[in-house]
Amino acid sequence: MVAHILKLKLRLLGNGFKRSVGQLVGVIIGGLYALGMITLLSAASWATAAENPFPGQLTVIIGSAVVLGWAVIPPLLTGVDLTLEPARFVHFGIPTKVLAPALVLAGFISVPAILTVLGLLGASMMWRLEPAVLAVAMVSAVATAVMAVLLCQYLTIMATALRAKRRFRELTFALLFLLLVSVGPLLSSVISAAENISDWVNPISEVLAYTPFGAFAALPGALAAGNYAQLTLCAALGVIYLAGLYLLLVRATGAATVAPPPQQRAATARGLGVFKIVPATPTGAVMARALVYWLKDPRYAIGVLMVPMLPLIFWFAGRQSGDYTMMFLLGPLIGILLGFSISADVSYDNTAFALHVLTGVSGRADRAGRVAACFTIGIVPLLLAATLPAILSDQLWRLPGDLGLTLAAFLIALGVASVASARYTYAVPLPGENPMKTPPGNGLRIALTQLGTMGVMAVLLIPVVIPYVFAWVNQSPNAGFIALGVGLALGIGLLLGGVILGGKWFERRQPELMQAVMINR
Amino acid sequence: MNPIALDIRSLAKQFGAKIAVDNVSLQVPAGSFYGLVGPNGAGKTTMLSMATGLLRPDAGSVLVNGIDIWADPHAAKATLGVLADGVRQFDRLTGRQLVTYSGLLRGMDREEVAVRTEDLLRVMDLVQDGDKLVVDYSAGMTKKISLATAMIHSPNLLVLDEPFEAVDPVSAANIRDILNGYVQLGGTVIVSSHVMDLVQRMCTHVAVIAEGVLKARGTVEEVRAGKSLEERFVDLVGGRGTNEGLSWLRTSSN
Repeated sequence: MVAHILKLKLRLLGNGFKRSVGQLVGVIIGGLYALGMITLLSAASWATAAENPFPGQLTVIIGSAVVLGWAVIPPLLTGVDLTLEPARFVHFGIPTKVLAPALVLAGFISVPAILTVLGLLGASMMWRLEPAVLAVAMVSAVATAVMAVLLCQYLTIMATALRAKRRFRELTFALLFLLLVSVGPLLSSVISAAENISDWVNPISEVLAYTPFGAFAALPGALAAGNYAQLTLCAALGVIYLAGLYLLLVRATGAATVAPPPQQRAATARGLGVFKIVPATPTGAVMARALVYWLKDPRYAIGVLMVPMLPLIFWFAGRQSGDYTMMFLLGPLIGILLGFSISADVSYDNTAFALHVLTGVSGRADRAGRVAACFTIGIVPLLLAATLPAILSDQLWRLPGDLGLTLAAFLIALGVASVASARYTYAVPLPGENPMKTPPGNGLRIALTQLGTMGVMAVLLIPVVIPYVFAWVNQSPNAGFIALGVGLALGIGLLLGGVILGGKWFERRQPELMQAVMINR
Repeated sequence: MNPIALDIRSLAKQFGAKIAVDNVSLQVPAGSFYGLVGPNGAGKTTMLSMATGLLRPDAGSVLVNGIDIWADPHAAKATLGVLADGVRQFDRLTGRQLVTYSGLLRGMDREEVAVRTEDLLRVMDLVQDGDKLVVDYSAGMTKKISLATAMIHSPNLLVLDEPFEAVDPVSAANIRDILNGYVQLGGTVIVSSHVMDLVQRMCTHVAVIAEGVLKARGTVEEVRAGKSLEERFVDLVGGRGTNEGLSWLRTSSN
């Protein structure tokens, strides 16, 4: 039975690659990239083996980071390959004693697991000068990888039950978002507070060595330092953690195969909401629908994840260098990001887009409604980003220029995105799916489309950038007003043009768009 | 009013090597209740998608109430209500919002939309669930709310792909009553279905499609030619296995 399940997993892996050539190419490129990184890492570990000042601490931190990564990223963010989810075996009546170990073993048959083992083995090359320690390091590398995969499986089973509830999914997303926002500043504060690198490496690795994250990874360092007490203790702890985790995992797997699918409570919204406020026209209806999605669909929030993060990042960067110039570029950058975010709108609709095709809504109304929703959501934060830096730094002469470039960037981005989303669709997470999940092997196409759209936006912005730069260099509010005038005229003109052209393309290509969203590409 | 509500003229569609719809012509008279039956993968959904503007045909044309849907989609779609099979809805909206959205998208005025939305929710037995998000609806409820979005603009022609799938018997009977009343007042309905019995009882006309080809069409009486529609369907389509199937499938085995 164990062999059957392992074979099934191998077959699933193989068939996954067969599904489409593009995906296979994507996986191969991704795999080669990862292999290249691993080779580089191994070579670096090999080459610096002689002069590495703290290989022990480094091993612990690398090992812990890998285990932590496995524990957090797949269960919460990317989602794991659930083809062998225990709940799928409910109908087969396989004894838990057989099924659980088989599923645990099958978890190792995956590209990331293999890459993890290789990477950790490569990193242990930093111990090559002492053969005995190297041997221990390689064994502990494999043990660390096992710990990582088991922990990931256990947390995934735990999370699956919770994830079935939509509200939990959206909540995790919000929590992760906060975490992401704060992690950069926190790290930079901690690191800059320490006088030198060993100030923070030592205590962190010291603690991690006794946790499930770094217990195994601490072994080579302890052996090299001749600290046999720590060696024994960490080895014992590691074995205990691993055994405990295995037992928990087997039990959870067994429980998951007999648990009924979770129930969920329906969400409600009273009355018509935004539909009551918008004008009773097709454009207004599209706007109201898009507004509901901006507020309720986490995929939209992901698209503009950078908007609240940018000021923080720039501020921290400014605090460290003492130069806050970057803050003045917040407005234009956020404008482009926000405007660009509607370029995947039709892809996000997925087959619900059929309603737009069937009602025969005009292309112009469709485009204009989506633009209006994004504009409503974006305009206030955008104006703040454009004006606050100049006001807070008491350089009021900057205001007209900053406003001009920011509004132009936003309007032009909306116009370009209106055209782009009528022509180019791409694979996106489906409605209700984990918003962080990216369909595999699709990166190149998205990157090319986005690069193209961004490039067009940059070129169209040139007439505004020239007076803007002139105003900045000469501290001239007059040139700033020129930037504002040109920006508004150009922005409004290009937005209208984008809506009209996009609407024309939209009407001509409705069935093709429909086919594209049906296969989500 | 045009005597032919839906005029399908030599429609064809090919996906790669597979011919999904092969030169199909079909006239649906105004005021008829037309059933479209065929085995799985026969090309029903492909044909209806092309007839409603969702899928561009390789060849042929479609006239909805006399207007070519591929030449003048806006005018054609104004008189057409469609329940498409296998597509999502904007399911982060509540049921009430979704039906309202469908009305407003068609340019109807707000009061009219509000009145009709409540009427539709009532006849679909969804008043209790009008404020729930469509994503939390059951399959049958989603079918019913989709049907409501197809009817809000009071079209002359309703094209319904599998309207009774997953719908409970009481709701199905209610929907049948609505559709019958609609036909009696001069409306035209096309339904695709697998349930021969239902089509025989409900429809005035029927067309049988298999492997992308029209096998038979006409009034239900003409097509079934004295037999039951189900028997006639099996004759036309073929493919019934002999009874040699699973000799071991009996309770005493094992």
